[in-house]
Amino acid sequence: MKVDFSYLSRQFRLSESGDSKETLTDLIFTDLKEFIKTGDFTLGKKLEEFEEKFAGLVGVKHAIGVNSGTDALTLSLKALGIGTGDEVITCAETFIATAGAIAATGANPVFVDVNDTFTIDVSLVEKAITKNTKAIMPVWFTGAAPDMQALLDIGNKFGIPIVEDSCCGIDADINGKKAGSFGTTGSFSFHPLKNLNVWSDGGMITTSSDELANKLRLMRNHGLVNRDEVEIFGYNSRLDTFQAVVALRLFDQVKSITEARIANANKLDAAFFELNDFIQVPERDAKVRHNYHLYMVRVKNRDELLKFCNDKGVDAKVHYPIPLPYQKCCSHLGYKRGDFPKTERDCATIISFPAHQHLIAEEVQYIIETVKEFYSK
Amino acid sequence: MIKVPYIDLKSQHALLKREIMVAIEMIFDRCDFILGEEVEKFENSIAAYCGTSYALGVNSGTDALFLCLKAYGIGTGDEVITAPNSFLASATVISATGAKPVFVDIREDLNINPELLEVAITKRTKAIIPVHLTGKPADMAPIMKIAAKHGLKVIEDSAQAIAAEYNGNKTGALGDAGCFSLHPLKTLNACGDGGIITTDDKTLYDTIKQLRNIGLKNRDESDIWGYNSRLDTIQAAILNVKLKYLDEWTADRRSNADYYCSKLANIVKVPQQEAHEKQAYHTFVIQVDNREQLVTFMTEHGIETKIHYPIPIHLQKAAAKLGYKKGDFPVCEKAADRILSLPIYQGLGVEKQRLVADAIISFYLINDKSNLPTFTKL
Repeated sequence: MKVDFSYLSRQFRLSESGDSKETLTDLIFTDLKEFIKTGDFTLGKKLEEFEEKFAGLVGVKHAIGVNSGTDALTLSLKALGIGTGDEVITCAETFIATAGAIAATGANPVFVDVNDTFTIDVSLVEKAITKNTKAIMPVWFTGAAPDMQALLDIGNKFGIPIVEDSCCGIDADINGKKAGSFGTTGSFSFHPLKNLNVWSDGGMITTSSDELANKLRLMRNHGLVNRDEVEIFGYNSRLDTFQAVVALRLFDQVKSITEARIANANKLDAAFFELNDFIQVPERDAKVRHNYHLYMVRVKNRDELLKFCNDKGVDAKVHYPIPLPYQKCCSHLGYKRGDFPKTERDCATIISFPAHQHLIAEEVQYIIETVKEFYSK
Repeated sequence: MIKVPYIDLKSQHALLKREIMVAIEMIFDRCDFILGEEVEKFENSIAAYCGTSYALGVNSGTDALFLCLKAYGIGTGDEVITAPNSFLASATVISATGAKPVFVDIREDLNINPELLEVAITKRTKAIIPVHLTGKPADMAPIMKIAAKHGLKVIEDSAQAIAAEYNGNKTGALGDAGCFSLHPLKTLNACGDGGIITTDDKTLYDTIKQLRNIGLKNRDESDIWGYNSRLDTIQAAILNVKLKYLDEWTADRRSNADYYCSKLANIVKVPQQEAHEKQAYHTFVIQVDNREQLVTFMTEHGIETKIHYPIPIHLQKAAAKLGYKKGDFPVCEKAADRILSLPIYQGLGVEKQRLVADAIISFYLINDKSNLPTFTKL
């Protein structure tokens, strides 16, 4: 059996002869045919419609579509006036773009080690604050929730805004309050492998601040207040209206996608708890709706397990094998091995299994059996 | 009622809709939405079209310029020279790197004046961004000579100039790098944002290839900080369809330009066509007296016109901190009050063109003799 990590060919299947009804992709194609005729390609009506719906999902006043999750983070920081000489605190265990977005403003990322559930260790944040700290950027890595209340408390105490990297956190929440609604801004990615995905790069900024929303709308569109007048020097970072058409069709599925992933994750959790000599399933918090953008656990003999799974057709992956602070691009920041023990532990032991919404029961079972087989050897 | 729109994206896409949807459908065999096969195919086609060794698809024309500047290591403390009458992105990308935009006035042909370049060069100057405004190539021979003398990079802002030629070479192949916009209002247009960089410089190519993809050297390693600025596979597929028509569309625009020139050359200032160049006519910009009244008159006759651009960059509020003032670039400022872009899009047709030309002729010659322009043919 082959269990793919990517579900795109299942999610975006075109109908074949014999299909009784239109596939989702067929429906999107019908929408796109109409859309292309309108020529409404740049900051168009369909984008506004998607932004409104997305703001509603997250529970904020404004949602601003931009080119990518990375740009969402960069523009959020720039809108807060963060740049050269400033510092932004973030988690050492995340995708490179989190720190890349900070570096793109001219500020330096300041890394804080991770806790046991793949999010920033809030007990270490205060120590990392200096007079140059201008923001704290917690990451909803894997779709798990950072301790947002503790972070907001620290932010309030020091007067530092929280800029959420909720790129992986679509529809994740804490006690029903959604990722992207806690901080001054939230940033989302609609990259094809995200839970709400478009057919290209895409991103969104969420905020309830009118002032920031206005500024961000200027910044994403060259700073233009109208066709001819420029208020501020800006950027070109717009979510294509084309992709908003795609997103609008997928939008109503977001909650059921999360639920399907949670169901798969629960099955994997139950099986892996039995293998607790070999597998450490992170603690699951009942208050948190983890969206399982990634289903990630810590395991013994990771590299061998990874190879075994891949050889058996289980498309397991590692997100990511090298601690971010030790990447060559971070060399100017002066970190060294030993600075982030838990991140180092994770990078050596984590593995991600497919848990996406298109898996069938037999495939989930096959993942479990493959892992069991490996550890029974 | 609009009789002649400035641009007609709806008709263009009604004709191409079927072909575009087929091309998009093909992507679903692979679902390679990010930097997929269609992107590479488009890059190869553009490199071949422009006559450069490499091309790289990015998120926009703006990003194309920005990434070239970054890849050349330009940033805080540096200066980059460009023209003040362009779309503002030509200058904002310079600011975005931390460098200072330095403006040089234009010639009557609306492109940067090479004779004024050397006085603007300081020891901080790192690059020149000549803009091929309207699709007319800037005078690249003297620009390249001055750049070589001072060790400066030349990044062509070819956002409006795909298919234009200068001394037999395509724009994008004239400087160290060329930057094209594929915005929906461009001649070669995506159905969303898009841009592409052309170059013969292998080092630049390798650097930008990483910069556009978050600095990633491979899936797991980053040795430089980067950005997320990739041309969408879907837009590349659309562009691969459209590229086949580019020469046809450009020929149509040139013939539209010839028509306007033949009808209007004695009445208003029309773009000059020089022997060493082939213009792309992204816009067809005339220079007129009494522009405001003319625009009103045209609007009353159902004809849409545009102004590219009424406020020069150095006089924008956003540029205040650069310290320029009114009067610094007299040719640019005078032109800003006189320029007017007429509909020139491919498929415009002679009927609509005649309406445009006749309206201008009536305005200046028939309606009111007192409106006769002081300008005479060059």
